[in-house]
Amino acid sequence: MTVTRRHFLKIGAAAGGGLMVGFQLTGCSAPADYPHAQPGSFQPNAFLQLTAEGQFILQLHKAEMGQGVYTGMATLAAEELGVPPQDLQIEHAEFHPDFTDPVMKSMITGGSSSIRSSYLPLREAAASLALVLRQAAEKLGVGDTRQRPLPQLLANLKSVDRLPELISVATTLPVPEQVELKPESEFEYIGRFNTRLDARDKVRGRSQFSLDVPLEDAAVAVLVRCPHIGGHVTSIDDSAAKAMPGVVKILEVDGAVAVIAEGYWFARQAAAKLKLSWDKGPLAGVSSESLLEERHRLAQEEEGRTAEEEGEASLAVGDEFQVTYEAPYLAHATMEPLNALARVTEDRAEIWAGNQAPDMAIGLVAAATGLEFGQISLYNQMLGGGFGRRVFPDYIVEAARVSQLAGMPVRLVWSREDDVQHDGYRPNASAFMSATIADNKVTSMQSKVVTPSIYGNFMPLFTKAKLPNWVPDLVHRGIASLASGHDSSAVEGLIETGYTLPYTRCNVVLQDTTVPIGFWRSVGHSQNAFFKESFVDELAHQCGRDPLEFRLSLLQPGSRLEKVLSKVAELASWGGAGENRFQGVAVHESFHTAVAEVVTLHKTPQGLKLEQVHCVVDCGQTINPEIIEAQMESGIIFGLTAALKGKIDLVDGAVQQSNFHDYPMLRMSESPAISVHIMASDAEPTGVGEPGTPPVAPALANALYAATGERQRKLPLRLG
Amino acid sequence: MDVEPGQPLLWLIRERLQLTGTKFGCGMGLCGACTVHLDGNPIRSCSTPIEIAQGRQITTIEGLESADGTLHPVQQAWLDLNVPQCGYCQSGQIMSAVALLAQSPNPNDAEIDAAMSGNICRCGTYPRIRKAIHRAAQVSAAVEYFEPRGEQNV
Repeated sequence: MTVTRRHFLKIGAAAGGGLMVGFQLTGCSAPADYPHAQPGSFQPNAFLQLTAEGQFILQLHKAEMGQGVYTGMATLAAEELGVPPQDLQIEHAEFHPDFTDPVMKSMITGGSSSIRSSYLPLREAAASLALVLRQAAEKLGVGDTRQRPLPQLLANLKSVDRLPELISVATTLPVPEQVELKPESEFEYIGRFNTRLDARDKVRGRSQFSLDVPLEDAAVAVLVRCPHIGGHVTSIDDSAAKAMPGVVKILEVDGAVAVIAEGYWFARQAAAKLKLSWDKGPLAGVSSESLLEERHRLAQEEEGRTAEEEGEASLAVGDEFQVTYEAPYLAHATMEPLNALARVTEDRAEIWAGNQAPDMAIGLVAAATGLEFGQISLYNQMLGGGFGRRVFPDYIVEAARVSQLAGMPVRLVWSREDDVQHDGYRPNASAFMSATIADNKVTSMQSKVVTPSIYGNFMPLFTKAKLPNWVPDLVHRGIASLASGHDSSAVEGLIETGYTLPYTRCNVVLQDTTVPIGFWRSVGHSQNAFFKESFVDELAHQCGRDPLEFRLSLLQPGSRLEKVLSKVAELASWGGAGENRFQGVAVHESFHTAVAEVVTLHKTPQGLKLEQVHCVVDCGQTINPEIIEAQMESGIIFGLTAALKGKIDLVDGAVQQSNFHDYPMLRMSESPAISVHIMASDAEPTGVGEPGTPPVAPALANALYAATGERQRKLPLRLG
Repeated sequence: MDVEPGQPLLWLIRERLQLTGTKFGCGMGLCGACTVHLDGNPIRSCSTPIEIAQGRQITTIEGLESADGTLHPVQQAWLDLNVPQCGYCQSGQIMSAVALLAQSPNPNDAEIDAAMSGNICRCGTYPRIRKAIHRAAQVSAAVEYFEPRGEQNV
């Protein structure tokens, strides 16, 4: 059974009120070659197995990075098995084709898609396993198996040592062509289970991140990379470094220098003694300022691609209003610095690393080491934060190469400085926003955004991971160029806004630079929502309208956006927040989830204080209310850090920030109270990892305008 | 134990003693992920040389729970309020919170902010941490009241 057949499923109402789901696969439930299959277990699909001891094991095919998939996936499977989620044993899945996301063509955790893409397939996998077990029990002549709860049935068989018999019968049965999924009215866990299954180990310090995987015979490596992005080492004097205590080996690895030692501290101390010269590479002379000037020049010179055009251009009448917004590069700064433990030999690689895209990582390790895809195993771990950073496997490839060239197993550990200075950044962007206004009515809204293409950056990595090694670079570049030409991430959030106006248009001009960029929590939405929702606020004020009422007048009545916006206004007491309180609002849909937020600022004698954020989210059917709330809180604080503090500066191709003193994070004393309301819905569930982030920067900017009368159009914003 | 002078306590704890609950986050004492107790006081082990710990008592996250697996009231409050997300910073957060409550058994929000602002959480669990500290304070106060220490020895 594969999730790729998703497109071909026929779903209809069943007699019992549940869903009937047709399977495309034929064949029997005989054991397939699943990477995690336990001896003697029954595993009819890649997701789930029942061991001979009666333990259900779930393969967690999505990376747990805080967003809650560990609990969410278990809840979906447990619902159809009829067992409490905490009774499942959960393992980080190794790569298997059946875990491939049908849209992203990769086994990947991203795009707030995990729950949305797994809601039916995982339940089907569980329901199918449960059905075959019941059928097998019937063959064994164990009573009325349809009615009795599955756990009780299994417990009874276990008590008389008949589980192996059940499993051997189950193995001979065909995979059911149809399974009935539970109707919502019978849900025991979906929408009701309200704790986190990974929390207990996490409060005990027992949760295993890749940095915690035992070293055994491995040593610790650090890599000294050229401070100028894309540059490489030209000369190495390691005489002083070699004399440092604990040093095992020093070697050049693909343009950087690896120091391998008996521990992290020893490696870092020795690395500090290296005397190196660098070729600065392709970004020599490039700075944040030169890139900004280039974007403004490009905006003048190039029309760009029209990503969206609605209505008639002739309707854009009245006075023109034009402003420019700016967003800087941003680093991810996951709390766990990047690291990977790698053991590479002539014909085998084993790697332990927290990672969001295992097949891409394996493919790129294959390309870098010359090993075959099938010779490489990647064992995922808990991720100490992801936010899109761990889609890019640079740190994994580095660890594999250091291990291969050094001829020994190594744990490669990035410092915080490495992390801040060698990220795949959220792209910098300039947005040229314009509108026409006649008789206090907006007749058009147009945007022209100039930014590098994430997909143009990502595609060569993706195709290198997926295509055979002999495919020439020209092909990778060609595909990348095609991808960047249709890059939705550059304009997402500026198109399909939900606002109805006589004429709207969005153009995109791509900035061609080799500064590495990547998927940063909510991707294009993170800066584009700031541009759009700040600008809409400006238009409201230009027309002399209340920003909330103005937005409501442009949204379809009864739409999800209109509903979340109305609700947040009610909960935040919009217009009546109290003395010395100033509010800003924003509403935005991303990853199929609609979110509205109101930021309330308190004017005190010490200055403006970020007092409260109200948030209303519509993410369809609720799986776990606590995790939805927590993800909204998380997305809001992540977005506030970016809005108030986030900025990566380049000078001569080198990142100027290095650690939390100059790339600061929001701290507890600065974080507002947050209240979250989840809209009731029976629509299929959508994701919550990212959609809380985009509205908060514009809601804050709009509140700052309300408080100060000054419109800030350049991120990060000044609170004082 | 034979150690290299000047080495930060963190790496002794993680690499030599293999107590991996204490985390590496920044190496500069800026994020609090490496927080442990030195004679009951919270310190950043990533920037504390091991000489300072000579002959003194170090408590890590692994030392908080009882031998029978009963969680410390702060850990239990964290669990009850679903505080952790990625969980990487939480050992340090909990160690800072335990030290705060030892000094100030019923802290107000300002005291919590002051004690906890050295600990970064990139997942943004701050609102829940605040609530969990208040809850732990209440629970500890109740336990203190009903089971006064030393009673068993009377």
